Amino acid sequence: MSGSLKLVNLIETHAEPIARQWARDVRKNPRTPSYHGIPEDNLVPVGVKFYDNFRQMFFTDKPADTSQQYFARYAEEQHQRDIPLNEALYALIMMRRHIWLYAEFQTIFISAVEQKQAVDSLVRTILMFDYAIFFISQRYQELIRQSIEETLGVVNVLRMKNSLGAKQGPYKTAIMVALVLGAFGLTYYCHAVLGQNIIFTHLLYIPVVLAGIWWKKKGILVAAGLGGYLLLSHLLFLKGMPLTDDIIRAAMFLVIGTVVAFLSEGITQAEELYKPAN
Amino acid sequence: MIASMKLIDLVDSHAERIAEQWAKNVVKNPFTPFYHDKPVEKLVPQATRFYHRFRDLFMKPKPAEASNGYFSNYAAERYTEGVPLQEAVYALILMRRQIWLYAEFQATFSTAVEKQQAIDSVTRTMLMFDYAMYFITKKYRELMKLEWFEAPNT
Repeated sequence: MSGSLKLVNLIETHAEPIARQWARDVRKNPRTPSYHGIPEDNLVPVGVKFYDNFRQMFFTDKPADTSQQYFARYAEEQHQRDIPLNEALYALIMMRRHIWLYAEFQTIFISAVEQKQAVDSLVRTILMFDYAIFFISQRYQELIRQSIEETLGVVNVLRMKNSLGAKQGPYKTAIMVALVLGAFGLTYYCHAVLGQNIIFTHLLYIPVVLAGIWWKKKGILVAAGLGGYLLLSHLLFLKGMPLTDDIIRAAMFLVIGTVVAFLSEGITQAEELYKPAN
Repeated sequence: MIASMKLIDLVDSHAERIAEQWAKNVVKNPFTPFYHDKPVEKLVPQATRFYHRFRDLFMKPKPAEASNGYFSNYAAERYTEGVPLQEAVYALILMRRQIWLYAEFQATFSTAVEKQQAIDSVTRTMLMFDYAMYFITKKYRELMKLEWFEAPNT
């Protein structure tokens, strides 16, 4: 352990210059393009924070437990900066490399005994980084899941989904039956009782859109049913009026229903792609 | 490079044995719960494949390019199997550790000169694994199509 103490002391007393070398490197490394636009002075504290915590994580009896908190926070900070996981991990790997690259490190392990100490230090540092990679990847997955759920938040309210996969089927059917019956009644009232072809048809888009969101391609049947009923009602009760307007309206029901169905299917596919990595 | 030959030869000639030890480890490691109910004999081939490719990956003059193809494939296979990303990378880390445990058990590096060889081998293996972590996480990201959920400027 005394051999490792040399390494830890070197890192602690030279945290700032090592961090600055790392910041310069990460800003131009081809594997970390997301860092290229971040000013060096904003990056140096990230490196300094890591090197300052090095002793604590290095000497603890429970390296996994101690490092989890630090690396989870590192993941949160990098995720907040919109840094992709692969780059955040590579930036951390570069922090480790910069310890070895730091000029003075080369001179502290020379003799045979010191070579043995170097191996010990290497092994212990690598162990710490193994946990780092696990915890950062895990935390990123959690954060990504949260972001996706937030992104889909409003859409999920319309889809009547609480979270990824939680369905509320029976309510959807009941609401749709009520909306379709309401649409039939309204159409009958306007056509048969009022004898008018006024703009009430805009209200019919509500069940058309919801059916597309909830049942995707199958939901197009609702659009077709409402369009068909609109045309039938027109033929029965508005015999003297031209049919053209209602043909266009029925066609638009189908177009809107189809577009919404495909969009909804796209969102579901995106969720499915995400699920295996949970 | 010659210094690392000892390790490469050891891994190549004992690939099956090291892979078995890895499989036994991964099915009970608390960081890899996905693997816990997988039969050891089904896991061994994937590690054996890795250990046989080890020489190839280790010796290539451009380790980044050489490891890109192999580790991207590794990521695609694990993703298809439904392995969570953090467990896929940790399982690979365990493969690397198993090499050292085996080398240590076999007392591969005992003299002072061999200690220096050990440092060279550790450094070069770590370089390979640094690239591995990068390529695996990158591939997972592509497979998860996460860019679908990102703002256009990110």
